[in-house]
Amino acid sequence: MNLILAIILLILMLYIDKNRGFKLFLGLIFNFIILIILFYLMALGLNPIICALIGCLLISYVILYFVNGENIKTKTAIKSVIVVILILSVLIFIMTNISRIAGFGEEAYEEINMFSYDVNIDFTNITIALILIGLIGVTVDAAIAISSALYEVYTNNKNLSKKELFKSGMNIGKDILCTSMNTLLFAFLSEFMTLVIWYYECNYSFIDIINSKTFASEIIKIMFSAIGCVSVIPITAYITSNTLIKNKKQMEEIA
Amino acid sequence: MKKKTLLLIIMIIISIFSLIFVYNDDFLYKEKIIKITNIKKIKEDISINNLGIKEKYTTKEIKGIITNTKDKGKEITVKYEESYSSVITDKYKINDKVFIKDNNIKGLKRDFYICIMLIIFIISLYLVGNYKGLLSIISVIINTTIFYLGLLFYFKGANLLIISIIESILFTTISLFIAEGINKKTNVAVLSTITTSLVVLIITYIVIKQTKYSGLNFNELSFLTVPVEDIIIPELFIGILGASMDVAITISSSISELISKNPKITNKQLRKSAKEIGKDIMSTMSNVLFFTYICSGLPIFILAIRNGFSFYNYLTTNISLEISRFLVGSIGIILTIPITTYLSIKIYKEVSK
Repeated sequence: MNLILAIILLILMLYIDKNRGFKLFLGLIFNFIILIILFYLMALGLNPIICALIGCLLISYVILYFVNGENIKTKTAIKSVIVVILILSVLIFIMTNISRIAGFGEEAYEEINMFSYDVNIDFTNITIALILIGLIGVTVDAAIAISSALYEVYTNNKNLSKKELFKSGMNIGKDILCTSMNTLLFAFLSEFMTLVIWYYECNYSFIDIINSKTFASEIIKIMFSAIGCVSVIPITAYITSNTLIKNKKQMEEIA
Repeated sequence: MKKKTLLLIIMIIISIFSLIFVYNDDFLYKEKIIKITNIKKIKEDISINNLGIKEKYTTKEIKGIITNTKDKGKEITVKYEESYSSVITDKYKINDKVFIKDNNIKGLKRDFYICIMLIIFIISLYLVGNYKGLLSIISVIINTTIFYLGLLFYFKGANLLIISIIESILFTTISLFIAEGINKKTNVAVLSTITTSLVVLIITYIVIKQTKYSGLNFNELSFLTVPVEDIIIPELFIGILGASMDVAITISSSISELISKNPKITNKQLRKSAKEIGKDIMSTMSNVLFFTYICSGLPIFILAIRNGFSFYNYLTTNISLEISRFLVGSIGIILTIPITTYLSIKIYKEVSK
């Protein structure tokens, strides 16, 4: 079934644009392979957090350089994503450790009961890696949207100061905020539907739900994706406006 | 500027109070809660699985003071066995609050941490998005409420697919009107999103019926007593909406912009520019869905590989549903581009005639 859906997707992508569509499809396959290699390295016992950080870098490289091409826009976007990932990884590390959301909640026991739990890998680190990888897509999306829009603003009016550029970057960010939140919300609700039905069947009260491990880990995961998307906005606006002004000064010195 | 700072201070004060309240809300619970005061190791075991992997288990004696119910203030001692990997156990520390059931630890009290996350989320949205950030919070709250109400109807016996279709109309209308205001651009976007999601719904339905769910495994839904088929299609359907809305509003506002700048622009030129814009957004949007969905397969992957299961097995069982979610969502993103273009041209040109 997934194979047929994948073929439909490929045909549609080619319909929109033969060259870009094919590159995008290839990029997705690349990213899937990177993910699987990362997952394998973690399963072999390498430190999952380090794996995830390197993986995030590779993945954003594939999304930005391979699909969109190397230029000043993608360069500033990738810098901003790295800054956000580094800052958030500290927060994620602390939050995952104190809220004990590692591993599986009661709801998943039936799914995992065919496995032995003696795996000798600390699932706290696995959960941190999972949250990091989960937020990379939405963070890259926001970063490239802002850096390319800001670049357009700059090329249309080269007299803008650094402060003005930063301000218009923030304005663009505000515009994409609402729709990005919606994308995340509905992806989350779609995953969440079965869980709510299960809670209802088991007569969970509201209080039981918010203390359960599965609910807590889902919410913390999606919140970090949202925070990644929000915090990348000022950082990209700052880095892009800085780079553009710096470039302009260099050009003037040469001239 | 002053207003912004004032509102921020008010938000921080409310946050601090709600954190203090949630940390001390033990009296709301009927189950016993203890605050751990002392942890003592009493036994260490090593267990070996069939691949020879050694796992350390530690049995601990945990002492704590009951913080609610009529036994408040009494000290009790329980035993707890934790594993190094914490696959299904947790590692508790001193000062943690945990639930107690029949003299066993049932789980950590996590409401405090969820409250912290929500506060970080809301404040960062407000700092970056200002007034618009608050609007998106309101939109999230309204949509979640509608989602919950819809499920209540389902529990009363209504058909989940029909509920989801009705909900989807409400979701798109409300989210887009809150995000972009009521105008022609949003009307077009709402119409396009609903049309696209219905078209994708039909495609998904046909593919699912034709392949009879082959290659799709519902392990992760096995805990449900209701038929899985009833839930799977509505779930996939809801997942399309967010991304499709995002693409629809971008295309519809660009086309309206193009027409207002050059009223004489031909339909062919419009279609070409819409495709250009579509190319740029489809790549990053499908990546958003890809990572949001696929990463949740990581913990099971680790378990499966460390138990000697093959990768192929994992791909066809444990993660197959996540892959379908991503594929259906991406098909939605891409179909939105031509559908929005067609509808925008039709509606904008009609009005200008």
